[in-house]
Parts: sequence; C-alpha cells; structure tokens
Amino acid sequence: MLITLEETIAKINEGKILHIAADGSLLDKLPKGKWIGGTTPYFISDIGGILTKDKLFVDEIDYGEDINICTYGKYNVFQVVEECYENGLAIMIMPYGSQVATKYAKEAPEVEELLMHPTVGWISGFDLNTGGEAKVYDGTTAASYTDKAVVMYVKLPENKSAMINMLNIFTDDKTDPIIRFYDNELSAKKCTVNGQEVDFAQYIEKKGIDSKLPLVADHNGAYINTSIKSMENGTVSFYAPVFKDVEYRFATPVKDYATQFKKIIDEAGAKDPVFSCNCILNYLYGELEGKKTPPYTGPVTFGEVAYQLLNQTLVYCEILG
Amino acid sequence: MDPAVQEKLMRILKKELKYSSMNLAFNMLIAKLQKRIAEDPGNMDSCMEEMEAFLAKYPIVAKVDLANIAVL
Repeated sequence: MLITLEETIAKINEGKILHIAADGSLLDKLPKGKWIGGTTPYFISDIGGILTKDKLFVDEIDYGEDINICTYGKYNVFQVVEECYENGLAIMIMPYGSQVATKYAKEAPEVEELLMHPTVGWISGFDLNTGGEAKVYDGTTAASYTDKAVVMYVKLPENKSAMINMLNIFTDDKTDPIIRFYDNELSAKKCTVNGQEVDFAQYIEKKGIDSKLPLVADHNGAYINTSIKSMENGTVSFYAPVFKDVEYRFATPVKDYATQFKKIIDEAGAKDPVFSCNCILNYLYGELEGKKTPPYTGPVTFGEVAYQLLNQTLVYCEILG
Repeated sequence: MDPAVQEKLMRILKKELKYSSMNLAFNMLIAKLQKRIAEDPGNMDSCMEEMEAFLAKYPIVAKVDLANIAVL
C-alpha cells in the first residue's frame, strides 16, 4: 500500500516487518527497525500507476515466523542459498548498475541449489526524468548502500510454501532465426544467427527489428526476456545478460502493448500475492500511469528477481498452503 | 514417488514428453536438466535426484504438477 512518511514511521516503531519502496529522500528519514528498502519513485498502487516522491510503498510481512536481514557485496552475494531458511522466502533488493547486481545477473542461473530456495526481488532505481542514485536500505541500521544487496529472509511455517511467478507479454515464433551469444555478457558485438556469425547491431538495423522488443529464451514454456538498453558504436547493450549456449529469438511484435499487458494480468489468476513488482519498461511501454493492475501492486523497478535477474516482466510471489 | 510418474519425469527430461508447469522454478529446473541430459545422457540419474529433491522439498507446490504429470 502507498502511505505517508508518518504512517510508515509509525509502522516501523510498532515493530512491524516491512518491505519498503520509495524515493531516497523519504527512505533516508526512516528510523531503525525490521525493514528493508529500495529506491524508486514509480509504483503500481491500488489507485493505479503513479510517480510520486511524497509517499512510500509498504508491504507488511505478516506471514512469516521469523526474519533475518543481511547485506551482501559482489563477492558473497550467493551466500543467499546458504543463509536462507530451510522453508522460507528471500526478498532481495540490489541497486541498478551496481557490481553486485551485475554479478548476480550473470551468475545466478548457474548457481547450484538456487531454484531450491525461493528468491524474489527487484533492482532499485531512480526518477528517469531527473536521474539520481539507486540505493538499498538495511532497516536494522537504517544505512543505505549503492553497492550492496539487501536481503530479508522470511521463515515460513512448515505448512506453507512460497511460489514465485512472472507475467510476460512476450513469446517467440519458433520459425524465426535462432540467435546465440559467445559468453554471459551484458553487451555484445557479435553473435550467431542460425549458426552464421553476424554483427549484432548491423543485424538489428538491417532487419528493421524494433529494439523495444526483447530477446526471449524459452525455458520450458517460461519466456525469459533480455531487453535492449542501447545500441552505440556497434555494441548492443542489455538490461540483463545474455547467456552462452542459450537459444534466443526476438520476441514477436505486440500490436497493442497496453491492451496485451492488461489481458495477461486478467488471465493470470493470482489471488493474493504477498509481493509484486513490475518493470519500468512495462510501466512506460504499457502506459501504466493511472492504470490499475489488481491484485498486483508494488514498486516499478529497473529489473526483477525471480531466482535470477529478469526484465520487462511482472514478478509476484504467493504463499500457498 | 510413483514409478509411473517417475518414468514420465524421465521422459520429460529426455524431451520425449512435453510438460510446462505454472510454477516458474519448476520450468526453469526442467529446462536446466534437459540441457544437462542433452549434453550427456549419463547425467540422467543425478538430474532425476535433483528433480525429486525439488519436488519433495515443496510438496504443496509440487502437488499440482505431479497430478498433471501423472495423466500425461
């Protein structure tokens, strides 16, 4: 829910366990307590998509038996798979552009046991109009970081399980050419298309591909996007890494992004997600300002975490049982 | 685990049967294990162990998948 600074402080002082998203100017004013936070001024609230630096988006974590909050740098971020509760949920926030986020993005899919431990979260950001610094907050010290991941581990009762899912409007056309990359990288100059090496930027331009369309990889029916950030000096940069030995295709064009996005939300059928976040690209291209997407409310983010880093998706978590 | 379901899980991993879950983690795991088996079919035993460990750890989430796989 989107609430005022005073209301948020009251909840912290009551000892409530909170996941908070807000502009840094508000998060800086919060007292110590059982909370984690990340910066963004964009939200999907009960009243619709909104950009505000006057309110905070607050999730109350009232479904756990216990919590633990930790921060990690790039050298130890994968301790999440060791330090999580045996039956629990890890809620992770990392700053956009940080080394820890890059490390996590590139290596998470190859981490043993990662899929055994429900991990959900987001990449913090800033106002795209004014720029700024992406930060995360460890509420136990009220300290902020631009180079660390903050994780809240939530211990769940034995009869409950966390299920993480995502909504993605993109799919592929299996008759389209297969694109492969040479390494796990956040940018690429070369790739192969149906086995032939090409200059990737030239290929995109020559084929007239809309760079708003992500590359998609089909993981047994779960389509994982890699969105294009920029194309400069022959280098194509991505918001999330491409991976060696993964087959990609460009997503099939979506005729009406906003209508299609609403359709998949209506069809998804989640009842009561305890966590949700949505990509800034969906917010912009889906024209979500002022639009409601019930039951999914939460921060609008610079990347989503559902075990690994995703983008251009809506990620949510439900507690089952 | 029911041997019939186990047999179907093995066929899914060998891509002889197609099954897509509503559970993101399960789909990611299937894709990862399929790749490992395609690289070396000798990995089947370790992949099945990983699959069974996943399903055993989250019985509430796995219940629907196991029921769906049983009727494939």
